[in-house]
Amino acid sequence: MVDLAAAGSAVALLAGSLDAWLWVVPGLLIGLVFGAMPGISVSMAMALVLPATLYMEFLPAIIFLTSVYTGAGFGGSVPAVLMNIPGTSSAVATTFDGYPMARAGKHNEALGLALVSSCLGVLGSYIVLFFLVQPIAELVLRIGPFEMAAIAIWGMVLLGSLGGKSLSRGLFAAGIGVLLGTVGMNTAGYLRGTANIPELLDGIPTIPAMVGLLAASQLFGLVNTHFLVEAEEDRQISLSRIVAGGMMTFKHPRTLVRGSMIGALVGAAPGVGSSISNLLSYAEARRASKDRDSFGKGNPEGVIASESANSSSEGGSMATMLALGIPGGGATAILLAAFAMHNVVGGPRFMDQNRDIVYAIILSNFAQAVLLLFVGTAFVYCASSIVRLPLRFLIPCVLVMATMGSFAMEGSIAGPMTLFVFSVLGWLMSSAGYPVAAVVVGLLLGRLIETELLRAWQLAGGDIGEVLNHPWALVIIALMVLSLGFSMWQDSRRRRVEDITAG
Amino acid sequence: MTVRCTSISRRSVIAAAAGTALAAPLPLRAATYPERPLTILVPFATGGYNDRYARAIAPFVQKHFGQPVVVQNRPGGGTMLGNMFYLQQPDDGYMVMVHSAGPFIPLSVLTRNAQYKVEDFWMINLPSRDATLVACATSKPFTSIGDVITQLKRDPRSVSVGIQPASADLVNLALLMQGHGIDRSRMRVVTYDGGGPARTATMGGHVDIGLVGGEGFLPVKDRIRPLLVFSNEKNEDFPEAPLSTDHAKASGFAPEYVDGSQRGFVVSRRFRDRAPDRYQIMFQAIERATKDPECVAALKAQQLATTWYGAEASNEAYLRSASLMEKYVDLLKQA
Repeated sequence: MVDLAAAGSAVALLAGSLDAWLWVVPGLLIGLVFGAMPGISVSMAMALVLPATLYMEFLPAIIFLTSVYTGAGFGGSVPAVLMNIPGTSSAVATTFDGYPMARAGKHNEALGLALVSSCLGVLGSYIVLFFLVQPIAELVLRIGPFEMAAIAIWGMVLLGSLGGKSLSRGLFAAGIGVLLGTVGMNTAGYLRGTANIPELLDGIPTIPAMVGLLAASQLFGLVNTHFLVEAEEDRQISLSRIVAGGMMTFKHPRTLVRGSMIGALVGAAPGVGSSISNLLSYAEARRASKDRDSFGKGNPEGVIASESANSSSEGGSMATMLALGIPGGGATAILLAAFAMHNVVGGPRFMDQNRDIVYAIILSNFAQAVLLLFVGTAFVYCASSIVRLPLRFLIPCVLVMATMGSFAMEGSIAGPMTLFVFSVLGWLMSSAGYPVAAVVVGLLLGRLIETELLRAWQLAGGDIGEVLNHPWALVIIALMVLSLGFSMWQDSRRRRVEDITAG
Repeated sequence: MTVRCTSISRRSVIAAAAGTALAAPLPLRAATYPERPLTILVPFATGGYNDRYARAIAPFVQKHFGQPVVVQNRPGGGTMLGNMFYLQQPDDGYMVMVHSAGPFIPLSVLTRNAQYKVEDFWMINLPSRDATLVACATSKPFTSIGDVITQLKRDPRSVSVGIQPASADLVNLALLMQGHGIDRSRMRVVTYDGGGPARTATMGGHVDIGLVGGEGFLPVKDRIRPLLVFSNEKNEDFPEAPLSTDHAKASGFAPEYVDGSQRGFVVSRRFRDRAPDRYQIMFQAIERATKDPECVAALKAQQLATTWYGAEASNEAYLRSASLMEKYVDLLKQA
């Protein structure tokens, strides 16, 4: 499966090109900084540096762009942990446990965890890519509407009761999210709930809505607090604690591997991959854990699950881009545009004829994952100094940043307006005891489920029996039922044991 | 926000409808024009054909225009947000669009209740024409369009079709089915919001056949089988694909079709009418840039179109396809 001759010449290609290395660290740094700014997505960061690559050779240009990709992929988790702002939709699940950890004074550990899981996720996914680029691409291509709908339903079922003490409130919040997610034109071309506002044609702008729900609503709740971390002795920025946090990752190898697998496979699905893979991985980690109640309150496993999945999505989407020429998302679309700028057409023929270049890109990403560990450590060390900033300065700064970011994201006032509306909604809901995270999950997954189910229905021509022709969808649903049943059985047994010991 | 938007665009619509009669003489003299940078507005996200075309030709437009040229993306609402934004700009000749004018402008008017008219836009040159391609994955049993039609005639439910709703492709599908007397409402039509997803579904075999712009299939040419191209001239990318006009004549129905995409430089008709001097300067800069041998070589290398059709032919093509879409508007609405 590995073309050794091509791999050899890839090594030679990399070793002989100083240019190819020169751009890795600047690329990572640019990615980290832009990725950490709320409102600048991975693809925007890449689009910003795209013009510069026109003047580079092909290989250095692509390596530079993938460095930005890798850096920005992790950069998004820094504000997720420190400020509860998911920089991108792929860092949503990181906020669930990362932010509670930061509030409890474990910001060093949380960032260390996120960094190491991200590096391992990137590394893992590219190792898989190195050996299996073609099979992965083929597998992803097979994920049709039935299979995708099954995966999304799995995520929705697992996350339905997210973070809620009361199931009914969780379901209500998720329902609101699903309803809001249906605004706009659906995949069959029907307009719904746009109230004649042209900005809503493509649906509610997701990222400003998410930032509003998760971050801004949180910040209002912090008004009477002086610092993000209450206890003064916890407010330190410590390299050793970042490293210790990083080491903690290795205590949960199963979560890490599971997250990376989900990321590489689901994350590779064109269009929606990385924003669902982190949620799914988080939900699975929560389901598999013995200590389910601690999720959402600062369980390190939650951070590992989310970060390993969102970073391994990079390798997955690179597989479909390299082997099939399909851009799975904004980032790979920009990579393909960079290919085109250098007069290279991505796709199967490029793969066949330039195996050495493909391997060089993959090998360089191994190096990027390792370098990210160091550049990232320095970066989070600096970034975590915001815990020392009094909240009376921090909150306005974050709000201004979020507003500017949402403007940049949408390119119009529609972004800040969405942010404002959803901040108020988020604040009202959280002060009434509804889990806002469930609204976000509904918003993200609801639209996906609807789109895929609609296509499945169209494909079946209204015949429910058609699902029998899609065994993999059935396998996914069966796995879901089995794993849920198993957890419930385990729960009831544990409760019985507890009852006996207590009694 | 909304109120402001609609009122302005409505005003601009009225102004445009009233034509030059209403337009007071503007202080727009060509003597000093151009004295500021020119913005190319692309109503799509980065990375697509229009974006690539705009960025590739920008340096040459700059050379002939004599001022810096910047590219700005304003995606959303099936180009409606970009179109509205463009019509709200002053007619000072410092902004031009690079657009898939056909089919996106007529489609936004016909299916999204856009507050402007097809005639509000004026084509400078539409070099890129992308035809709808009927294709199937190589794993599918069809070897010709005849196979597909035979099976559809036997049972319209037996073939699933991947397509974008409210698209030129859908009009072409409707024309083809109408010609063969196949009941489209009984067919299994699967809708995708974008050419990319529709192509992936075709290639991955999620649907039996797909109708989508052919150009995007180029990188994955080996994985699909082109069955029919909606055009009256041989497609350079898929020379082996039979033409819809030949197919229609052979099957005995009218050889009508709409162009999948007509892309290139677009301004507002209002700008052309109100500031003819400036329009001439801009027009000439774009014409010279398009014909510049250096530009032709650079664009060819990136697989971008370089033909100069000029305003007359481009507007004619644009309006022809718009009126065809209007004629089949009912087909567009029942996706």
